[in-house]
Formats: sequence, C-alpha cells, structure tokens
Amino acid sequence: MDFDDSPDEAAYRARVRELLERHASELVRLRPGQEAVDPRTSEAELRRTQRVLADAGLVGVAWPAEFGGQGGTLMQQAIVSQELARAGVPALINHIGIGMCGPTVIAHGSQDQRERYLTRLLRADDVWCQLFSEPASGSDLAALRTTAVRDGDDWVVNGQKVWTTLAHVADLGILLTRTDPDRPKHAGLTMFVVDMHAPGVTVRPLRQMGGQSDFNEVFFDDVRIPDSERLGEPGEGWRVALTTLMNERVAIGGAGGTIGLPVEAFVQHARERLPGLDPERQVLARQAVGRAVVAALGARYSGYRRLTALSQGGLPGPEASAGKLAGTEAARLVADAGVRLLGDDAVYAATGEGDDRWQRTQSWIPGIAIAGGTDQVLRNIIGERVLGLPPEPRSDKTVPFSGGRR
Amino acid sequence: MNFDLDDDQRDIAAGARDFFRGSASPAAARAGLEGGRPEPGRAALSDIGFLGITVPESAGGAGRTLLDLAVVAEQGGAVLAAPSLVTPARAAVLLAGEPELAAGLADGSTSFAVLDGSPDGSAPSVDAADATTFLALDGEDLVVGAGEVVPGRPLDATRGLASVRLTSRRVLATGAGELWARARQVGAVVMAAEDLGGADRCVQLGVAYAQEREAFGRRIGSYQAVKHLLVDAWVGVEQLRSLVWWAAWAADANPGELPLAAAAAKACAAAVYEQAAGTLVQVHGGIGFTWEHDAHLFWRRAKVDRLLLGDEAEHLDAVARLAVAGALGT
Ligand SMILES: Cc1cc2nc3c(=O)[nH]c(=O)nc-3n(C[C@H](O)[C@H](O)[C@H](O)COP(=O)(O)OP(=O)(O)OC[C@H]3O[C@@H](n4cnc5c(N)ncnc54)[C@H](O)[C@@H]3O)c2cc1C
Repeated sequence: MDFDDSPDEAAYRARVRELLERHASELVRLRPGQEAVDPRTSEAELRRTQRVLADAGLVGVAWPAEFGGQGGTLMQQAIVSQELARAGVPALINHIGIGMCGPTVIAHGSQDQRERYLTRLLRADDVWCQLFSEPASGSDLAALRTTAVRDGDDWVVNGQKVWTTLAHVADLGILLTRTDPDRPKHAGLTMFVVDMHAPGVTVRPLRQMGGQSDFNEVFFDDVRIPDSERLGEPGEGWRVALTTLMNERVAIGGAGGTIGLPVEAFVQHARERLPGLDPERQVLARQAVGRAVVAALGARYSGYRRLTALSQGGLPGPEASAGKLAGTEAARLVADAGVRLLGDDAVYAATGEGDDRWQRTQSWIPGIAIAGGTDQVLRNIIGERVLGLPPEPRSDKTVPFSGGRR
Repeated sequence: MNFDLDDDQRDIAAGARDFFRGSASPAAARAGLEGGRPEPGRAALSDIGFLGITVPESAGGAGRTLLDLAVVAEQGGAVLAAPSLVTPARAAVLLAGEPELAAGLADGSTSFAVLDGSPDGSAPSVDAADATTFLALDGEDLVVGAGEVVPGRPLDATRGLASVRLTSRRVLATGAGELWARARQVGAVVMAAEDLGGADRCVQLGVAYAQEREAFGRRIGSYQAVKHLLVDAWVGVEQLRSLVWWAAWAADANPGELPLAAAAAKACAAAVYEQAAGTLVQVHGGIGFTWEHDAHLFWRRAKVDRLLLGDEAEHLDAVARLAVAGALGT
C-alpha cells in the first residue's frame, strides 16, 4: 500500500505538467473562486482548450490507441485529471462525450463509426450529448416513447427528450429510441448516433433551479437517421444503454471525491471565515466543517481503492454507484457547511461583495442527487447487484410495451 | 499509487478470521453480561502473537505495522472478541523505550491497560477491569504502576471498562505529551478497525435475514425501506474501510498524516457502527430486540465504542482544526 507515484507515474506526471505549462497560453483557466466555465458564453475557447489538450496527448489517455486514445493506464488518466484541476483548467467541454458516448461507441459501434467519430470526439471537433431521458421516462428509462421507424435505408425519429445536458452546443448525440413497441419494454429499444444539426431537431434551453441553463429539451420531428448510424443491433438498445449508464456512474462518482467540489477550496473558505464567527458559532461551525471533511476524505480514499482495483484489471461494476452516492453526500455536506460559514449572508443569493460561489454550489447539489441515477435508484442497484437483496416485484418486464402502461 | 492490502495482509486477515471465529463469538459477549469470561481472553491472544504485533522483534514482538494489526483487529471486531487490540497497539507505542515492559506486553506475562484521564481516578478505560499494570499520563510524565480498579456495571462486557486509581507509580518518561497523543491516535485507529469489523458483520447479518424473512408475501429485502437502510449502512462501511486503511497505513508510512487520518477514521467509525447496529436490530423486527438474538451485542459495542477514545464531536472538531491548519495540504 502506498499513495506515492511509482517512478513511472512520477515521470508521467512531470511530463503532463511540462505539457500544461508549454500550452498554458492556449488553455482556458478558472479564475480564483470560479468552478466552471459556461459553454453558452465560452464555447469556442472551451473547444480550443480541449483540442490543444487532445493534440498534446492529454485527452482519452486510457482509451486504446486504435481509437485515437493514448493507450495509457487508468492511473495515468487519474494523474492527468489531477494535474488539469491543479492547473485550473475547467471541465472539458466534451466531458459527456468522453465519459459516456465515446465508451459506448467503442463498445458497440461499427469500425466505420469508430473511425469517423472517436478522434473528432477527443478533439472536441464534435461535442456530444446523451439523449436518453424523456418527460415520462427518467429512472424508468426503458419506458421511453421516442420512436424510430425503418424507412428504406433510414430510420425516421419522432419524439421528445429532456434534461439533455449540452444539447445546445452539441454536434452529435447518442439517442435511445423505441423501434418495436410490440416487444417487452427492454427488448424493443435501439440506439443511434444522431446529428444534432439535422433537419427536424429542435433544442430549447431549460432553466435550472439555480437560474443557469446547462440542460435542454430536444424535439425530434421526422428526423431521418441513416441505418449506418445505428449503434448495436435493432432491439439491442438496452444493452447498449447499460454501457453508457455504467460509464456515467464511473465518470460521475467513480474517481471518488466530492463530485467536482474541491475539498481544498472548501477548507480555504473555512480558514478565511471561521475566525470571523463569534466563538460559540465557531464551535458549531467546526462540527459542520469536520463532518464535511470526513465525508470528503471517505469518498476520496474510497475512490483510490476503486482506482487501484480498476488499474489491476478489475471491471467497473455496480460499486461505482456507491462512489456516486457517497460523493453526492459529501458534496452536500461540503456545500451546506460552505454556505453556513457565510453567517448572515447565507440567507442571500450572494455575499455583500457579490460572491455567490457557495450559494450557487448549494443550488446545484439537488441536481447531482438526480442526474445519472437518482440516489434512490442507485440504492436499488447496490441493494440488488452488490448486496444480493431480492428485486422488487415488477409487473412491466414481460408484457409488450404497447399493451403495457400506455 | 496502490491502495489495497497486499497478499501478506490478506493472509494475515484470513488467519485472524479463522482464529477469532473459533475462539470468540457474540454468544460469549452475551455470557459476559452474565458473569462469563471474555473470549478469547488475554492468554489466547498472546499465544497466537496478537498482543505483540507492533512490538519490535528485539522485544519479542513481531515488529509489524499498524496496518497489519488493524487487519487483525477488524476480524476480532467482527465476532466481538475481547480483550481489545487497542491496548497492545497503544501500549506498544508508549513502551517503545522500555523493551522489558514491552516484552511482558507481547508474551502476555503482564496484563496492561492504558488509562484515559487522571491517574488519580481515571475515566472508564478499555480492558482495565482485569489488568494489573497500568500506563497513564501524569501531567507530562508517562507513568506505570499498580492500581485500584473500580469497574462499572457493563453495558458491553467485552470492553472490560473500569476506572482506576493508581496506587503506585514509576516515571517512564518525562515530557511525554506528544508520545501519549500519538499512542491515543493509534488506539483510535485500532478501535475504528474493530468497529469496521463489527459494522461489516451487522450488514452481513442484516442482509442475510432480509433475504429470507417474508412479510406480505414477499421477502423483506425486496422492500426499499429495508433495502435502503442496509445499503446506506454498507456504503458507510465502505467509507470507513477506506479511512481505517489510510489511517493505519499513515501511522507507519506517513506519521504526519496520522492525527488527521485517525480522527477522521474514529469519527466515521462512531457514526457508521451505530448506524449499522441500529439497522441490524430494526431489520430483524421483534426477534432483534430479544436478549437471545445477537443484534444487541453489536449494538452495545457500538453504543460504547462511539464514546471511547474521544466521541464523534471531539474527533470532528480535531479534523476541522487540523484541516484548517493545513493538514490536507493545499
Ligand atoms: C442536472 C441534470 C442533468 C441531466 N442530464 C441528462 C442528460 O444529459 N441526458 C439525459 O438523458 N438525462 C439527463 N438528466 C436526466 C436524469 O437522468 C433524470 O432526471 C433521472 O434519471 C431521473 O428521472 P426523472 O427526472 O424522470 O425522475 P423520476 O424517474 O420520475 O423520479 C422521481 C422520483 O421518484 C424516484 N423513483 C423513481 N423510480 C424509483 C424506484 N424504482 N425506486 C425508488 N424511487 C424511484 C426518484 O428517485 C425520484 O425521487 C439530467 C438530470 C439532471 C438533474
């Protein structure tokens, strides 16, 4: 057991640092106190940043070289992520493409699709989105209603997707559709790659509870998709989607930590704010800070354990769901303590000086407990797949979708 | 980076599991509440070498790391073994400069306990009830001596708690405050490891029952209200395991991190074990509330351990202070 870089890892880290320094002027950087850069306002800079990083070999580090990756290890990927965070580079604009869509294309795409898409994905020449959820099917994804009907060499798609992160900047998406309503709901699905600029695709922004607009609703009106854009066989869409969902949980929670909230920044905030509180409140605030730090450390070190297991050849399993659950809880505690440390300003949307970082963070937490599998759905997965508890009775698994609940 | 046990440690764990399963049990913990002897007892622990795991080889111990000891302690915790490995771990730190005393610790010829609080009337201290030789902090002096032992009526008989007033004392070291603090941190890590074993066992027992017990025509584990209780307890156990391993590793490999890691592990252990033991009782319904069922023995251990060697609030405060002072790095 050790937490130091091996000689190889240390050499790799040094090279990554050197590359980041060499390209520093070409990369978007977060200002102090800023945790994200909005693709709505900075799309071009964010695309350029990812392209520069990709050309330097710092994107898709653990992807096989034949798919445009570096053929490196997961440990190297983790090192790059750490160094990007350290250098203040914001999340890559194509994080959904890299984390979910790309691995799905690698696993289920044709050779032609892999060649056409993967290198462009890594360079953010194409930004990708994930078109799964619909107004009537989120957790119960297999109940989705968007249809694709075969017409010659094409499929014709009609329906609506919702909560689609990045659809407003995306060029491509992976789209889960129903192609056979007469089969049971999991059996009648098919996955496609869809061109977001195709005629009949309409993207409308949705506004989140915190006021920002990171996700959208997407309408499909007689959108034609060539059969060559199918991912996997007709009727195999559920199996393809499971690849995406598993990668999603690994991408969100698998690495451990507090899901994008750096605990060091929180501790720095506590360092600045604690002395200003009156002594009795300090005692209480330290309890909240301590609890948040313990949760964050638990999530971090559990992430190290998963990373170790994966780098020794383990496969990402349902345990990643535990990482997302624990990371969400840690993020909630960090955000809550962060706001409370503001004292009277905690009841406003920003401090008197206009700093709204902790309030924004607070209003973002409910979303992470929903996105990529709600807390409840993840508990079901862990209960059934890790602990081996019996599933709930399900009345809808075997009946034809069309004769089921519609 | 490599955050996993090595093969050697896995072997140690397997051996310890066999030993403890054969020599201790919740049934023995129950009997202890009615006057029975703690199992496996000091003699058996010294015979198998568990009292000297971290004692240097030159003093008759195994000279191994705290992580090795924590791996063993987890297995003891799973069956509510007594006495605790907290005392040998803590005493081994305090006796680093006293090879003869350390030899007595390792070979079991001296029954040590480490006292918390004042030597003139200590706080309830682990395994003091049947000890004969006590280590205590007297001002800034580390002292050893005999004492008058006053046990209370046990809530958890496996912890051997008693208050002690020293009746003799010999100074082993002056200016020993830091050494004492480190020994207490090491003790906290080992207790967290025992709690990890107990909490993990609670989840296993709860899951097993939820897989077979039926209500309203279904197995109760299929109800989310039951399932999610067990999942939350399991997630807690996994976080605790990570913190315990990290803290135990830090004790030898990166001592500067030990204060933060030990406090985090102990705070986490207090909450996780209580949650897991409470869940175990709840999932069992009425049978879980009976004297004959094992659930309350884990519950008792959890209720007691959460307050020993600093409660959750004390350790959360320490984590906050240490983090703000820079213990996480920047
Ligand atoms: C910030 C954000 C970004 C997102 N980005 C994307 C995206 O890019 N692409 C995409 O396709 N989707 C995206 N989503 C959608 C997300 O996947 C769904 O919101 C989520 O799966 C929940 O589905 P739902 O909203 O329909 O809620 P529902 O499934 O209707 O759930 C409502 C409530 O019921 C509970 N519930 C449902 N089923 C069960 C069950 N079996 N057991 C217990 N409780 C249950 C849920 O936990 C929840 O509390 C995003 C969501 C958010 C918040």
